Amino acid sequence: MAQTERTFMAAIGDEDSITGLLLAGIGHIDSHQKKNFLVVDAKTPLAAVEDAFQEFTKRKDIAIILINQHIAEEIRPLIDEHDQAFPTILEIPSKDHPYDPEKDSVLKRVRRLFGE
Amino acid sequence: MEALFFNADDGYLEAVVRGYRSSILNNTAYINLTQCETLEDVKLQLSASDYGPHLQNEAHLSTSMLAQKCTDKLVQEFQYIRAHAVAPLSHFLDFMTYAYMIDNVILLITGTLHERDTHELLNRCHPLGVFDSMPALCVATNVAELYNSVLVETPLAPYFKDCLSAEDLDEMNIEIIRNTLYKAYLEDFYHFSQSFGGPTAEIMTELLQFEADRRSLNITINSFGTELTKDDRAKLFPSIGRLYPDGNLKLAKSDDIDQVKATCDVFLEYRQFFDGTTGTGATKTLEDRFFEYEVDLNKKSFQQQFHYALFYSFLKLKEQEVRNIVWISECISQGQKERINNYIPIF
Amino acid sequence: MSGANNRLAVFPTRMTLSVMKQKLKGAQTGHSLLKRKSEALTKRFRDIVKKIDDAKRLMGKVMQVASFSLAEVTYITGDIGYQVQESVKNAQFRVRAKQENVSGVMLPVFESYQEGTNANELTGLGRGGQQVQKCKDTYIKAVETLVELASLQTAFVILDEVIKLTNRRVNAIEHIIIPRYENTIKHIISELDEQDREEFFRLKKVQGKKKEAAARETLERETKQAAEGKLLAESNAAGASVHSSPVDPGDILGGEDEDVIF
Repeated sequence: MAQTERTFMAAIGDEDSITGLLLAGIGHIDSHQKKNFLVVDAKTPLAAVEDAFQEFTKRKDIAIILINQHIAEEIRPLIDEHDQAFPTILEIPSKDHPYDPEKDSVLKRVRRLFGE
Repeated sequence: MEALFFNADDGYLEAVVRGYRSSILNNTAYINLTQCETLEDVKLQLSASDYGPHLQNEAHLSTSMLAQKCTDKLVQEFQYIRAHAVAPLSHFLDFMTYAYMIDNVILLITGTLHERDTHELLNRCHPLGVFDSMPALCVATNVAELYNSVLVETPLAPYFKDCLSAEDLDEMNIEIIRNTLYKAYLEDFYHFSQSFGGPTAEIMTELLQFEADRRSLNITINSFGTELTKDDRAKLFPSIGRLYPDGNLKLAKSDDIDQVKATCDVFLEYRQFFDGTTGTGATKTLEDRFFEYEVDLNKKSFQQQFHYALFYSFLKLKEQEVRNIVWISECISQGQKERINNYIPIF
Repeated sequence: MSGANNRLAVFPTRMTLSVMKQKLKGAQTGHSLLKRKSEALTKRFRDIVKKIDDAKRLMGKVMQVASFSLAEVTYITGDIGYQVQESVKNAQFRVRAKQENVSGVMLPVFESYQEGTNANELTGLGRGGQQVQKCKDTYIKAVETLVELASLQTAFVILDEVIKLTNRRVNAIEHIIIPRYENTIKHIISELDEQDREEFFRLKKVQGKKKEAAARETLERETKQAAEGKLLAESNAAGASVHSSPVDPGDILGGEDEDVIF
């Protein structure tokens, strides 16, 4: 099975979220010096976020992508487009942006399915 | 003697610092702050204080922004004092900034080790530890070059020279380097402050001794169960604290927190740190108690006149204040009101 | 769609009819099986959706606690962000996917495991190390929750896909395939009937023709016979008169009638 090679998690988020996730030990730098996380601050261009997201979705060793919800908002079309089971995209809250279930792509799908 | 000549050079600045001191938030202000519901309220409360003008034009409120602005204000005040100071006070003030410089240089070393563009790191450096030749350090592309630039360009040269070699930077854990440097710095600062004699030496001794002991205790406790060997641990203990040399020896051999506690039992002031902290559910952590005690010591230095320790204490108190404000706003913005009272009141 | 044209292009024979009937039966069995599968999956799906909803809400709380513990670290140690980012080498926290079989669908279940050493063991050595480790633990717990949620979410996406597929199949069977077979069967039956009728008609026609022919034959024969009889009589009369035949019944009878009295 292809999934068994997916052992890493990737993260896109603000500095605090990333710091915490890295503390938990999800960070990984592979032999090509590729990081599996991206710190997004006010100065990060949207294109960089999009590139990173697309790179993570294409990588074969990533099982889960964690992304701050407020950043997910910025690249919402890309996330809505992603309909593969792997890697799973998980929207997480950040310190300054509490979690809003209304905006979650998956929950939106849930609601659409049940016709609410 | 100090009283006679002190005011000629440093009287103005002491007065300024005492003025700044009175702007430190008091208990009532903190109680008001803890009542706030949103960061907007915090801003409103702070607008009555000295921080008001700094926060006035900020539309988007966040805790990191608050921290930034409050630190800016502290830096601004410190730089004002520094700009008006003459030797030997200017030298003393410089010494105070070395601690931040160590952090900044460590940051640059980290960046260089991982071959990052260190220019981006300049923004992350603590503004108090910024020195003119810092951009020069960013030119270094490898650790050996950086080591040489540090020796040439920074006032930290003696600490690096005595404690570390260029190879060490490559091999040692960055935290060990940091603590080695800090130990050297503390010892140097201690000896420097002794050279003043009088109340400056007296108060600084107490402050720096506590700082040294705090580091020793922290290193001991934090190195339990890590790769840091006991010998290496002992090397990181500053040799100026009250625990030195006896307590340090015992600490170096400790295996668990109870042994640390036993070591500190001899010292009346330190004994209280461990009361109830080992049990679970303690509301105050060891660090909190350290902070409390530090604030207490620093407050005392304002009770004497004609000495330099005042400047050191002011900086430390202000730092604590910034931490308090950030803590409170953090609690508010994250809805953790039950922990909001964990700040350390100053006056 | 399900017009009269919607049927398979087959020859309407009894053979195909029985084949079609078998196929229809197969389709109906498949339909009920798939329907049951779809129901089982949907049940599972609803469970998962409910769990996702709960887990997402839980995650909000867990992450808040975690980021608050980071705030504690910042309070005591200062900003450790850069140092933590730079000390990243190998992932200590990893996940692996196990498979769980739900009605023939392989659902991945992520589970986390620790590998290698703690890269941030000495962070905050001089100050706040305990908080750093505490924060690390809190975040590990938080990420574990996230991993759990990720499993649910992957299951959600896969199940969604599979259910859609199954439902599509169920619907296809129900609305296209079965009607098509039924139409074909109907068609075959009607064709066969038609054939039967045609055959019957043909037979009737043949029979009719045969009868006609037979009748004509009889008539012809009769006519022929009648003609023959007449001819015979004529020839008899001619013979008697010419040959003076010894037996002339009429004459005899007539003769007797006059001569014989009992």
